[in-house]
Amino acid sequence: MAIFEFLTPMFVFLIFAGTLVGIIFGAIPGMTATMAVAVCLPLTYSLGLDNGLALLLGLYVGGISGGLVPAILLGIPGTPSSITTTFDGYPMAQRGEGEKALRIGIVASLIGGLVSLAALFFFAPALAEFAIKFSYVEKFLIIFFALTVMAALSEDMLLGIFSGFLGIFISLIGVYDVTDGGNGQYRLIPPGTEYWLESGFSLLPVLIGLFGLATILEGAEAGMPKGQSLKDIEVGAHSRFSWSVFKGQVANLLRSSGIGTFVGILPGVGGSAASILSYTATKTSSKNPDSFGKGNPAGIMASEAGNNGLTGGALVPLLSLGIPGDSTTALLIGAFTLQGIQVGPLFIGNNPMTWDSMIFAMLIANIFMFGIMYFAIRWLAMVVAVPKHILFPVILMMCVIGAYTINYGIMFDVWTLLIFGIFGWLMVKLRLEVAPFIIGFILGPSAEIYFVKSLESFGTLSIFFTKSWIAMLLWVLILGSVIGSALLARRKSRERAAGTSG
Amino acid sequence: MSELLRVTVDFDRSHLIFPTLIGGILILLGLAILLTHRRAITGAGAMWAETLAGMDKIRFFGTLVLTIVYFLLMVPVGNLWPNTGLGFLICSIPFVALIGILYMHERDARGLVPMLIVSVVAPTIVWWLFTYVFALTLP
Repeated sequence: MAIFEFLTPMFVFLIFAGTLVGIIFGAIPGMTATMAVAVCLPLTYSLGLDNGLALLLGLYVGGISGGLVPAILLGIPGTPSSITTTFDGYPMAQRGEGEKALRIGIVASLIGGLVSLAALFFFAPALAEFAIKFSYVEKFLIIFFALTVMAALSEDMLLGIFSGFLGIFISLIGVYDVTDGGNGQYRLIPPGTEYWLESGFSLLPVLIGLFGLATILEGAEAGMPKGQSLKDIEVGAHSRFSWSVFKGQVANLLRSSGIGTFVGILPGVGGSAASILSYTATKTSSKNPDSFGKGNPAGIMASEAGNNGLTGGALVPLLSLGIPGDSTTALLIGAFTLQGIQVGPLFIGNNPMTWDSMIFAMLIANIFMFGIMYFAIRWLAMVVAVPKHILFPVILMMCVIGAYTINYGIMFDVWTLLIFGIFGWLMVKLRLEVAPFIIGFILGPSAEIYFVKSLESFGTLSIFFTKSWIAMLLWVLILGSVIGSALLARRKSRERAAGTSG
Repeated sequence: MSELLRVTVDFDRSHLIFPTLIGGILILLGLAILLTHRRAITGAGAMWAETLAGMDKIRFFGTLVLTIVYFLLMVPVGNLWPNTGLGFLICSIPFVALIGILYMHERDARGLVPMLIVSVVAPTIVWWLFTYVFALTLP
């Protein structure tokens, strides 16, 4: 059997370890799935692609799921994607139904994960098949579309677009690479820094800086707020969990998983949007919406099925178009680059075994996630109280190792980590958006090649509009996302104005 | 119209096309932001003053200073024993310990002892893993 070529004990163990560590990262407020993947990336060098991905996918699934533990027990979301879990989970815990609430969340997470995995399995190859026919023109427009969607969903569209273009700009620093058809000339390098910036900033130190170091700096700025002591945590053993709570909730679970998956497929839109949208949809379609926010189990189900639905969805654009669906999958691009594999429309066809192994890894990770969280719920509750002064210094050290070993020992990569750590902290202060910046940074060099080569071959800008019906459709989508976002922003500001006057 | 859109790419200068385009867009977007966010930009000074006043300066700047010193020392220390990764190990133990102490709230024996044990054990494990198991060079 072919699957036993990757399905080794080591493979299964790495998924288990990844899922467990991911859950722990997710369960500690202030630490996210993205951070878990960033910190563990250097471990994947010597593991090989299949095993390395097994670890990282475990971390991803575990990290997204772990956030529900503090969300329910303390009312503090462990990760941004579990914000809506607090709305109904915490009131339940206060009523002494903590364990019941946790188990509801865990089951919903599993369902969300499996539904989105099915979507990934069927949808990604089809999309890739379609995308193989794309020429440089369509590829360029796809990237442009990804950036506008992300910017459109940003808090402030203008700042979102600006962040995306800033990412592209910074990615262009260095040489115009000959291997991609460039002319080998330097550009945007400040005089005197050619030695360090010849090939620009490396992707992984930038990512680790933005997601690892910047988070720690934010924590330090806030004075490393003390964690909860074990005494504050009330699991509530008296509440009995029974499967009957899911009766009549199948529609809710499927809808929320579907919304989560769809949000995941949209490039660069993170888990918080997935859970907020599915929570709102469930609340508005409920017969008694007033019971939400007061401990209605359906709210936990919607939120958790939604954010776990993200996991499979976010991998769809990554594996079919080479565009990451969220910030964690952006880090996975780094893992592929480390192994010298390019993700894009050809990926699944050229690497059928890696594709199979990823699907299996996701499936096994979801099962482990369920097993670990369902049966070890009491120990997990304690993880919430792990002191940050022990964890953060070690994470900081892991960030440094990651940056240093990425190109086999270049100290400038470590300084890149620091530069982008501080930059990431500044971005939050300046209300710039990290997700569009990252996507711009990752896709910038490809966008350049697609754009310039299209002009070289066709000699006219009109080719971007007239190349094919796909190009025209993409323009419709691009305009649609910009106009839609502008209308939404206008409605929001009008509501705000009405709120202040009334 | 089609004449207007016609472009010829000079290969020798093709490395400047995209950066110029993106730079131009950034300037336009920047101007748009200047116009639409006037109030936020004029209030930037107050925002930074507030941030500075509200931040835990010792922990924030302490982290930055310790990190910079750590980065600066790693390579020279490592050069004393080339290709052993000892520079990383020797610098990481005090770094992890100092950051840990910096982030602690009650610096009593009950908190310090586990923290100090972690600060010795964690870098050692990582160093052993990378040097001997993964065979990757550390500074």
